[in-house]
Amino acid sequence: MERFINFADSLSAWFGKAFAWCIVIMTFGVGYEVFVRYVLNDPTVWAFDLSYMMYGALFMVGGAYTLARDGHVRGDFLYRLWKPRTQARVEIVLYFLFFFPGILALIVAGWKYSARSWRYAEVSVMSPANVPIFQFKSIMVLAGILLLVQGIAQVCRCIICIRTGQWPRHPEDVEELEDVLIREHGLVTVDTPEDKKI
Amino acid sequence: MSDPVIAVVMLLAFILTIFLGFPICFTLMAMGVGFGYYAYYDPTRMQTIFDNRIFDLFVNQTYSVMSNDVLTAVPLFLFMGYVVERANIVDRLFHTLYISARRLPAAMAVAALITCALFATATGIVGAVVTLMGLLAFPAMLKARYEPSFASGVICAGGCLGILIPPSIMLIVYAATSNVSIVKLYAGAIIPGFMLAGLYMLYVLGRAILNPSLAPKPTKEEVGDYSALQIVTMLLTSFFPLAVLILSVLGAILFGLATPSEAASVGALGGLILAVCYRALTWQRLRESVYLTIRTSAMVCWLFVGSWTFSSVFSFLGGEKLISEFVIGLDLSPIMFLILAQLIIFLLGWPLEWSEIIIIFVPIFLPLLPHFNIDPLFFGILVALNLQTSFLTPPMAMAAYYLKGVSPPYIQLVQIFRGVPPFLSMIFLAMILMYIFPGIALWLPEVVYGK
Repeated sequence: MERFINFADSLSAWFGKAFAWCIVIMTFGVGYEVFVRYVLNDPTVWAFDLSYMMYGALFMVGGAYTLARDGHVRGDFLYRLWKPRTQARVEIVLYFLFFFPGILALIVAGWKYSARSWRYAEVSVMSPANVPIFQFKSIMVLAGILLLVQGIAQVCRCIICIRTGQWPRHPEDVEELEDVLIREHGLVTVDTPEDKKI
Repeated sequence: MSDPVIAVVMLLAFILTIFLGFPICFTLMAMGVGFGYYAYYDPTRMQTIFDNRIFDLFVNQTYSVMSNDVLTAVPLFLFMGYVVERANIVDRLFHTLYISARRLPAAMAVAALITCALFATATGIVGAVVTLMGLLAFPAMLKARYEPSFASGVICAGGCLGILIPPSIMLIVYAATSNVSIVKLYAGAIIPGFMLAGLYMLYVLGRAILNPSLAPKPTKEEVGDYSALQIVTMLLTSFFPLAVLILSVLGAILFGLATPSEAASVGALGGLILAVCYRALTWQRLRESVYLTIRTSAMVCWLFVGSWTFSSVFSFLGGEKLISEFVIGLDLSPIMFLILAQLIIFLLGWPLEWSEIIIIFVPIFLPLLPHFNIDPLFFGILVALNLQTSFLTPPMAMAAYYLKGVSPPYIQLVQIFRGVPPFLSMIFLAMILMYIFPGIALWLPEVVYGK
């Protein structure tokens, strides 16, 4: 079970980190557009499509990576007060009730949706450049599958926690600056939930 | 049960499940699809169990989040914030401001507030500002024998300005929910943001004048001696790089670049240039910023995937209409409605965070605004002011927890909480002022973009 958790964590992190670099492409791509449009008065035809495709791919694929690091926002003001074992018991039920049905719907419906788009090699209507968007629509299926795998790993985490009474540790990864600072300088540990950032 | 009643059941069921602490975006998605399956059920079309229009609705809503041209600004501004917060710019800024303000009462608190307000213009992220200032200005104030509650109030309140002053992530999220133009919202938030910072400063000055023991004046040895020329040079050198960034962001907003992602990419490029100027852009820091950007963007945007599906099913079942009719039936005057809405948002801010409130609860009020003749832009700025409090009110007062996390062990969480209420009252004062003089928010957008 631990091996599967490790596998899912690294799979999500690999895809997440690879797609994270979209932000750099997006920054420079749209930055270039601003330059040619407002300085040279010669706008590109592709920059708008580029911007939403990079953004959409980034956050959709990032969903599983965020889940692996417990980064999705939860209303946890009661949840935090419970013992880990109670947390895991409630959570495992909710995964089957609220997680898998929605994600399966995303995969199946997303599959049909993008298959239709592949069939006639759909292009974007936003610009005259005929930028293809069928591959972008398939991102939905990819994101769904990654989330499904990661969701199974989260269920495994719950099972381990119910058995041992402790949440298995998350792998080392980049952390928010406030967490780094609190760990380095803090003399007392305060439990700050992972997801209350920004 | 009639359909609108089912919609209300759906909303109540959702609110109850929030309390169980499951990631909210997935709860919204599953409930949207589940209740939608009922709502769109059509026995004549059922060849397989997937022949239900809810699935088309679900993918279409997901795709509209993926190709939304306002939300594209979210990762860009987050990226900018992560790059800038790693660039070590606050130390020098705070020190310089303190030296220049040294003759004022509570000079250090004033310097801390100005640093926070300026830093907020360069990043829309709260946690980092509070911890950075908590490590820098807070020990300095304690050493200068400032009263700990007073000092911690300054850091917590000042650190939260980032979600109000542009480029704030909260306002982008509001723009995507309400369809108000994001650049107009930003233009509208500039004056209220700095007004709130000004009110904080007035409070700090007032308290220090009435009760000098809260913030003792530094002795000459503690500050050191500086000539006027030295101070001016220091101000120029520590301000200049930040000024470039602030100008590029506010300028991009005020001169009206065509799309939000254009303004945001100018900001992100500005952040990178600033980091290079401070010789703070290492490969390691860039990687950290990139990876944190994807995680936080995914957190915000997946909430939209869930909530758009959820809310279209909710209004298809007639829930939205039921709530509107109920509220309109209460026969409230616009001011009563406004106060009620803000009070509900304030109370929701105690247990919940701003992202949940804006994406899930604010849309319930939005369709009612035209009936009461309230400008959604104006309402948005009021909400943004109001949600400052969601970081400051227990049990989920993140600003206080961050500060506690980096402060010396003898500072109690209770002491930090005790410093917060005066700043809360400044937030309420700012909201009242905005209500009496709506021009504070509406004037600048009108000047820049016309009616």
